[in-house]
Amino acid sequence: MRNRPTAYGLTFALPLLVWQVVFFVLPLAFLVALSFFTVRNFRVLPDLNPGNWGVILWRQVFWQAYGVTWLLSATGSLIASVLAFPCAFGIALKLSANSRRWAVFLMVIPFFTSYLVRAYAWQVFLSDTGIINGLLAWTGLGPYALLNTPGAILVGYLTLSLPLVILLQVFSLTYVDRSLIEAAHNLRAGRLRTVFEVIIPSARVGLVIAALFAFILCFGDFVSPVYLGGGHPTTLSILITDTTKSGQQWPRAAVIALMMIGTLLATAFAAVHFAYRGARR
Amino acid sequence: MSRQPLVTLEGIRKSFGDYVAVQPLDLAIHAGEFLALMGSSGCGKTTTLRMLAGLESPSAGTIRLSGQPINHLPAWQRDTPLVWQNLALFPFLNVIENVEFALKMRGVGRAERRRRAEAWLDRMQIAEFAGRAISHLSGGQRQRVALARSLVIEPQILLLDEPLSALDAALKVRMQSVLKSLQRETGITFVYVTHSQSEAFAMADRVVIMSRGKVEQIGTPQDIYNRPGTRFVAEFLGSSNILSGRVTGSTGPHLNVDGPLGHFQVPHCDATPPQSGQEIDFSVLGALCDLGPPGGDPRPNQIDARIVGEEFEGAFATIYLEADTGQELRVQKSQADIARLEPSPGKRMAVFWRAQDCHLLPG
Amino acid sequence: MSPNRDPNRSALIDTALRVWIILCFVFVFAPIAASFVFSFNSDRFPTIPLGHFTTDWYRLVVADPLVWSGLWNTLKVAGAVGVLATVLGFGAAYTDHRHDFFGKQAYLALALLPPTIPAVILGLAMLAYLSRLTLSGSAVSVIIAHVVICAPFAMALIRLRLSQMDAALEPAAWNLGATEWGAMRHVILPFCAPAILAALFITMAVSSDEFAVAWFVSGLNETLPVKVLGFLQGQVSPRINVIGSFVFVVSIGLVIAAQLLMAGRGARPYEE
Repeated sequence: MRNRPTAYGLTFALPLLVWQVVFFVLPLAFLVALSFFTVRNFRVLPDLNPGNWGVILWRQVFWQAYGVTWLLSATGSLIASVLAFPCAFGIALKLSANSRRWAVFLMVIPFFTSYLVRAYAWQVFLSDTGIINGLLAWTGLGPYALLNTPGAILVGYLTLSLPLVILLQVFSLTYVDRSLIEAAHNLRAGRLRTVFEVIIPSARVGLVIAALFAFILCFGDFVSPVYLGGGHPTTLSILITDTTKSGQQWPRAAVIALMMIGTLLATAFAAVHFAYRGARR
Repeated sequence: MSRQPLVTLEGIRKSFGDYVAVQPLDLAIHAGEFLALMGSSGCGKTTTLRMLAGLESPSAGTIRLSGQPINHLPAWQRDTPLVWQNLALFPFLNVIENVEFALKMRGVGRAERRRRAEAWLDRMQIAEFAGRAISHLSGGQRQRVALARSLVIEPQILLLDEPLSALDAALKVRMQSVLKSLQRETGITFVYVTHSQSEAFAMADRVVIMSRGKVEQIGTPQDIYNRPGTRFVAEFLGSSNILSGRVTGSTGPHLNVDGPLGHFQVPHCDATPPQSGQEIDFSVLGALCDLGPPGGDPRPNQIDARIVGEEFEGAFATIYLEADTGQELRVQKSQADIARLEPSPGKRMAVFWRAQDCHLLPG
Repeated sequence: MSPNRDPNRSALIDTALRVWIILCFVFVFAPIAASFVFSFNSDRFPTIPLGHFTTDWYRLVVADPLVWSGLWNTLKVAGAVGVLATVLGFGAAYTDHRHDFFGKQAYLALALLPPTIPAVILGLAMLAYLSRLTLSGSAVSVIIAHVVICAPFAMALIRLRLSQMDAALEPAAWNLGATEWGAMRHVILPFCAPAILAALFITMAVSSDEFAVAWFVSGLNETLPVKVLGFLQGQVSPRINVIGSFVFVVSIGLVIAAQLLMAGRGARPYEE
């Protein structure tokens, strides 16, 4: 209310600020410094050595992993958005208020189950002697190699991102003004045209943000690529964990991490720009 | 009133950034009066009230309570309880805990504050709801809880910010009489902010009409109704016809005025009457105008006009007419008169009034 | 077909949408249900048809001292994280609710951003930074990292509650003689109590589930999810299912408690 900061006001405002600056901003800033450090005899020493950047950026392995990670995450985010839309549409616009509450509650549950355990359970479904091949065997088909394929990675990405995408889409679709839909029908727009001409443009910001979150989650995930993809193809997150945990090559891992942050920031800006430019028009 | 005022506002100004909410304002509030601050939204009435309560600090000027400046006191060190527009009852406390709140903050002991809160619940006739949750009360009952919560400290002054705006019409009228008698019995000064003319005129001893952060007129309801101080007040009250013209001379107590709609006689009581040639505005209450057949000899204080509509309110009706210049006129008549005059849209009639019923608008 | 059916709705489309919703839920819940079922299955290598019912895997897990130390670490960390993150989150939520100030957008971004940074990156950054401060490899480092991730959740929950509060309540308390601290104690805190408890439970649940950052910084003080990561790297073992089911039941208990506090008994009498 008053502009002058008071002791009372600062008591509440400062603790989080200090914590996030000291333990969030500074660690991320430290990554930048770390990327110029040198490793000698398994010890990380402060330095101003641009060699780490050279080593990573001139390596084909890195750019291959970069391309694969970007492509897989974008595909995962697109598939999640497309699969989620009819589901979110039904929950937001067709279910009764009570069923909607239940559906939302059920979709929150996966956030509180271990993602690791769910990924492990998919191994059980997808392995050569697993549930899916077991069912296929009854019909005389298979067995097919399902585990350790890019498809399995995508199943893992969907496990991670689908609940969040559905929830975000449900929220943005519930906020679509019902009278806009009725006005569209009133002006002779049929069901499908109303969806594409009115509902999707109205919910555009939410839909894009949902896809963006899916991309962020997939881009940084290392569980699916390792435990469902079998480590092949190598993604950036696998590169980071390998580089960090073996050989103490922290500075090089920092370079990869910074490249990832840069990519995520650029993607996020592009997505937000795309979402709002469309919304304002 | 010769006593020292309870509250004085001296040159109070309030701005939010570039926006000036209250222009330099001087106002004296006397002990024991029921004062209404009235105006449309954005006129600065609520800001003025919030400055009294210490919820906003004035950009300039001094507020005095019993002669002492109180600008520097934070809200919690002033005994200026406020009844909020949405009541702002604490939803997590029950009725009696809400009423006890102010006493608890003042360090009154448990038994004592319970006793005093119960006395006020009794007085507001809501004792049976003492243990109820706020959400289980009706609008009128909540209103009474809010009043009890503010009055329990028995302040010298009570501030009310459009407290009746959420109630339906019938309950509003009932609460008006509750408020008025409460104010008479306790002798507490009430400062009542409202945009409703009927509320202000029904309850207040004095009414302050504000516009764009400025005081337009201060007076008793009768004063303001019969003799609007400015063109704005006359327009805001909406019950007068406002006309204008040029002074051509004077005859006895009347100015002769020529306007686009005809010739008029307007009484002047000022020590310095307008000079010949000056443009003036004057008003005449719609209730004091009469209707008759049009045409005939051109007489002063008569305008021929065409009926454009009518609006019924109980036993009275307002007839709206449009003069040849496009100026709108209104005449208020009883249903019996209406039946006799047979007005119908499009019909031409003469609107006329007695010279002594017009009122010169200053400025 | 009833002659009065709504011509704006198609039974076919509505049914198709419902079937699609159910399929999505099946996909999401299949792994959760499978891990629950296989935790009671006798076969070491889970497949169809199922073996017989057994609680052997539970007994194995209970007998493993490493699991107990992991559980103890998890509880210690989650308890500390819950309290710290809720306190910090409350302060930030109240600041956002009450004050307008220069740089508020940046403040809010800082308060809400951490969960959007991938865990591997945050883990690496924390590991490198905290080992400079000689804090890495301890339970404290896990607590520090988890508070960074969890405080935004607490802030969001409490901010939601504050946005439901009538903005006049706090000034009303001052008007009735409460100081700023008095209004905090007698008005803001009681009003936010359900959200504060909910935030405590949710942040504890998030912390007890987080494995990636914890894996980077925990050193020898591994929490239970980090243990699970270890099991995964080793051989296939239904013990993962057992721990997963156990963590699931505990987390869901916390979430349901939080839900009840936010939506049920706690909130209802406050509605207008």
